[in-house]
This record gives sequence, C-alpha cells and structure tokens, in this order.
Amino acid sequence: MSSRDLLDRRVLVVLGKGGVGKSVVSAALGLRATAAGKRAVIAEADGAESMSTLFDRGAVGYEGAEIAPGLDAMSISPSQAVEEYLLRMLKFRLLYEVVFRNRYIEPFMNGVMGLSDLITIGKVMDLEWSRADGSHGPDPKGPPKYDLVILDSPSTGHGLSLLGAPQAMMDITRVGPLYGNAKLIRDLLADRARVSVLLVTLAEEMPVNETIELYAKLRETVDIDVAGVVVNGVRPKLFADEESAVHWDELRAAALTSGDERAAAAVADGERAIRERERAEEYIARLQSAIPLPIIEVPLLAQRDLDVRALTEIGAGLEWNS
Amino acid sequence: MSVHRTQGGQAPGTILEPEGRGLAETDSPLSTAPSESPLRTVVAEHRVVVVCGTGGVGKTTVSSAIALDAALSGRRVLVMTIDPARRLADSLGVSGKLNEPSAIDVEGLLGRPPADGGSLHAMMLDAKGTWDSLVDRLVQDPELRQRILSNRYYQRASESLSGSQEYMAMERLLEASKSTDFDLVVLDTPPSRNALDFLEAPGRMVQMLAEGGLRWMKIAGGSRFSSSKAGKTLFGKSRQAMFSVFERFTGGEVISGIAEFVTLTSEIFDGMKVHAGEVMTLLRSNEATFVLVASPNRISLSEALYFHGRLDEATIPFSGFVINRVRPVRPGDETVAREPWGSFPKRPEVPGWDEAVRSLWGNHRKRLRWASVDAHHIAALREQVGEGPFYVEIPDLEGEVHDLEALSRLIDHFAG
Repeated sequence: MSSRDLLDRRVLVVLGKGGVGKSVVSAALGLRATAAGKRAVIAEADGAESMSTLFDRGAVGYEGAEIAPGLDAMSISPSQAVEEYLLRMLKFRLLYEVVFRNRYIEPFMNGVMGLSDLITIGKVMDLEWSRADGSHGPDPKGPPKYDLVILDSPSTGHGLSLLGAPQAMMDITRVGPLYGNAKLIRDLLADRARVSVLLVTLAEEMPVNETIELYAKLRETVDIDVAGVVVNGVRPKLFADEESAVHWDELRAAALTSGDERAAAAVADGERAIRERERAEEYIARLQSAIPLPIIEVPLLAQRDLDVRALTEIGAGLEWNS
Repeated sequence: MSVHRTQGGQAPGTILEPEGRGLAETDSPLSTAPSESPLRTVVAEHRVVVVCGTGGVGKTTVSSAIALDAALSGRRVLVMTIDPARRLADSLGVSGKLNEPSAIDVEGLLGRPPADGGSLHAMMLDAKGTWDSLVDRLVQDPELRQRILSNRYYQRASESLSGSQEYMAMERLLEASKSTDFDLVVLDTPPSRNALDFLEAPGRMVQMLAEGGLRWMKIAGGSRFSSSKAGKTLFGKSRQAMFSVFERFTGGEVISGIAEFVTLTSEIFDGMKVHAGEVMTLLRSNEATFVLVASPNRISLSEALYFHGRLDEATIPFSGFVINRVRPVRPGDETVAREPWGSFPKRPEVPGWDEAVRSLWGNHRKRLRWASVDAHHIAALREQVGEGPFYVEIPDLEGEVHDLEALSRLIDHFAG
C-alpha cells in the first residue's frame, strides 16, 4: 500500500462516474499543490470548461490560463490537440491541410483508429514533458514547467478508453511513428513513480458499485498505478464528540415533550443525518473491502455552491492517512 | 456566474448566485407550483418520451419512474436504458440481458397490478450488439457478414466510434416505435455534454463513415496501383502522395485494414442513412417529446439551461424539466431562529449538552439553507426559460432509488 503523499507524483488522473465531483476534487488538488509551493495545471478533456464555472471566470480554452496563483487550467479540445500533434509530426502545414484536414478523413482517424483519444492523453503527458524553458520531450532537461499535472478525466467509460488508447494504438499500428509515440505515452502512464489514477466516488449505492467495477476494469485493462479513492461529499457525524453524542436520546425526548414544532423538525433532520452517516460508513466499508487502497473522505460542506475558499478547504483534507 | 462553452452555439444564460440572501427572503417553489400533474399529461399525450441530461443527475431513475407510472396507468411501455446502475437493472429484471425487451413483473414486485392492459418492458442497450444485429439484418451474404464481424476496425468502431451509441439508441428506438407491442417508448439517452449530440451524432457518424470510407478506399487504392503505370494515371500523383504520407505515419497495414473495413461495411451505410432520416422525422413529430433531467445545483442547472437553448434553436419538441433530488422548503422554514434556545433548553452545567444542541440546530439550519439555495437556483432557471415548459421537482428522498418500490414512491411526486 502506498504511503507517499498524493502530490508526490507528476501526473494525477482523476477518474470516476459522472456527477461525483471529479472537477471539484481536481480543483482542490490543484489548490493544495499550490499551497505546498508547487506549480500545477489542471487539464480538462473533451473541451469541458468546469474550471471556468468553479473559479467563476471566463473560458480557459485550449491555450489555458492561470485560474489561481500558481495554478493553470486548460481545456483540451480533441480537434485542436490532433491538429497540434499532426502539425508537429508532419512539419509542413500544407501537408497537414491537404492530407489530414479533411472533414471525413480526420473524424475517421479519430473514430476508427482512436487517434483523438491517443492525442488527448498524449497532450496531458506532453504537459509532464514540458520544461520551464519552453522545450518539451520525454527526456527531461532542466526544471519542469509544472510540478504537478492533474487530468480532470471524462467519466467512467470514456475515461477508461482514454487511458487504454496508447495500447490500443500500438496494437493496430505495430510499427511507425504513431506506434512510437503511443509507446512513449503508454510507458509514461505505466511509470508508477510519476503517474497515478485517483478514483472519485460518492458514499452511495450506484457510485460505489461503479467504482468497484471501474477499479477492477482498470487493473485488468491498463497498466497504471491507482493511488486511492476519494469519497466525496461524505456526511459528517452529527455530533462532534462522544460528550455531546450521549445526549441524543435526551434531546429527542426534550423535543417531544416540549411540543415545539421546530425542535421536532430539528430532531427529524438529526435522525436523517445519523442514518445517512451510517449508510455512508457502510458504503465506505464496502469500498474498502473491495479496493485495498487508501480511501480519503471529503466531508460534505455546509455550503451548497463551492467557491475557492471551500475548494481550498477540501484540498487541505486530501491527505493520505496510511 | 455563467458557464462557458467551447463547443458551438451561443453562450448559455446565467444562473444567479443567491448572494446575501437569507432564509426569510426565499420564495418557496411549492407555494407557486400548479396542482395538476404536467409530467403525467405530457407522457400521456406522446408515444415517445426522450429523457436527456448530463451524467449523474438520475436520468435512468427518472426514465424508469416515468415508464412505471405509465404502465400502472394502463399503457404498454418499453423503457430503453443505457448503462443503468446495476441495482436498478436487477430490480427491473434486465441485468445480463442485452438488446432485447424483458418483461417486468410489476405485480409480483410491487404487489399491485397495472391498470387494464398495462405492462412494463425494459431493455438495456449495448451499442456493439446493436451494430452486430444491424450487420445481420442488412448484409445478406453470410461469408461477407462473418468477415465484417471479425474485422478489427469494425470491432473498434462498433464499440467506440463517436456517435455509435447514439446511432444505435436511435436504431432501437425506431424499431420499438414500429412495434405493435408497445404504445409508449421511454428512452434514457446516453449522457452527453450537449443535448443535440443525441440528434446530430448519428447523422454525422453515418455521413463520416460513408464519405470518409470512400476516401480511404481511394487512398488505399493508390497503394495497389501505385507501382504500375495504370495506377499513376488512374489515381494521380496527389493520391499516391497521400498514401505515402499515411503509410509513413501509420504503417501500410493500417490503411489496408481500414480500407477492408470500409469496403465491407459500405453496403450497410445506405440502410443506416435511411434509418437515421426516419428517426429524425419521428423525433420531430408530435408523437415524440423531450424531457430534461437536472440536479438542483448551479452547475447542473446552468447545463440544463444550455441544453434547453440548443433544443429550442433546433425546434425540437420539448416539454419540460424534471429537477431531481430537490431539498424541499417546508412551511415555517423561513422563520427559523439563528439560535436554538427558543426550542431547546440551555444547560451549561451539563457537559456536552449545549454543544449537542448546537450541532443538532446547525444540521437543521444547514438543510434549510441547502433547500433555499436549491429553490433559488430553480427559480432562476424558471425566470430565464419562462413558463412554457413544465417544471417538476422530485424531492431528495431518503435513501436511494434502486427498486421498483422506491420508484413507485417517486411517482407520487410527479405532480408538479
């Protein structure tokens, strides 16, 4: 079991089902990295722009932008990534324009050959290969541009196919420059010292089941380290300590006898909170028994809409306890 | 705040933050909601209900609830769902069976029979299986069929080609809508960032396969003839140049493999084009309608607003919003005191008592605050979209909905 710090890597792939809070966790990780004095970048796939919503700002786009001091974000649109890659490969724009920039050929390569998935994950790896002096490549020379690269990955199915894209491309090409590039990307993904997946889920039935399946599938199909699981939005305990928890029965009795409707409503909400907490603990236990990795709980914050302060608070809690 | 997009279309509208708004200022959505059941009415008036929304908002649950409700009221319903949560699939009795409608024993599971003639079938969709059956139907020659099914580019395309899931969902929808076994089809669409993807992706995919395929065949054809004089005349220098660029880049084997895939499958494209056209006609007709599911938070409702805008632009028949897992504002919630001491005694002499009361009260107020924020976001959506569509709020029920019993309880909240 890994006991090193989560930020002790170069690339973190944040992966999970839709709606579990991958973007929130990515943003929180980014802020935690900057708090530790690191320079970080969050890459969103599929042209998503969740960071612009969370940081309440304009689109970051493919070029990227600084969303907090020391923290950049960029939105990888597959078509732009493919264009950048092909231009770099082919050297001549004209050749690219004539041969590849065709509205039928390019989607064909993307869809049937899986080129855009490969290039999307390749772009993330390229961020790892980027040096502070503007150069980039798999042989690092000089300080890196980013200490930490965070991929806010698409949800389950597509996320998996992104991570599997390099191997898939190697299987179909078997030789040539595309094969070579795919192999470089695959080898970096498999480098356990540098790259890890962080799974995100909720303490609920469907997300927990899906995460257990996702973990099994990941182990089966992709050679990549999994650092652990973040369980997002976990109900905190109703009472902070035993000293106050012992009064629960008496509180309920007091509410009943007083006939105060508000007290009764508060007790009903309290009962629900306790049951929800119990269920959350059961789900986390189930997760723990199926996935032998560190599990971090992110408490449900009182705030409904998260701002930078709340994201920073979440980030501070993303620590390994094992 | 606003949400920014990189993909086509105009920027979506804005959902305002409830900054500085206390509980006392918040309007209760329940007090203004109409008492009839607009969702039921809409479902009753259509033969096809398409349920869309982003991932994680409860599309599958809402689709299943709509289907169960209609079945209980006496219609013969098929709900088609993509990648449903396992427990829901189990409870509907469709786990393991792909691509065929399975009857659900509503009476056995629920203890009450559907109204006269009502029935519920569910079908889990699988794009790969649908591709395969399409090949089975559209390709007559058994040897050719086998060559297609075993071509590795076919295998890849049928699993991960962009638009493939959407196309196959439409294919199944078309099939089901023609079936005399059902009078209502509820379709749980694949999660997508863009509501129109479901409508546009199939056409794009078919077009791309047909046109792109032709190009590939020409490029690959360049290879076969490139060394001969005839080849140079037939295909010209530019095509040879293209081939050699591709070959250097991907290896020649890839080109010939893809060319084989395209050659083999080209004969099913015509059939696919016809189907894509038919299903678009169906979806734009007055027999079909779209329903959007969203969560009551700012990101999800911003996305719903954007979805709605795109549907509206494309003149897709849209009925309304189902906002799932809303924390309801209850009567009296507006006037809750900041401090608990009006409702609970203060007992500083008892260790831990005052802290316990504060924790309980803090939890209570937190829930009220969430409810008021939900209500605020929903009100903002209603203000932006206007009162044309329906807005149905499904409360955040305790526990999760993963059996028929829980689904039937969900139905009780269909009244808007």
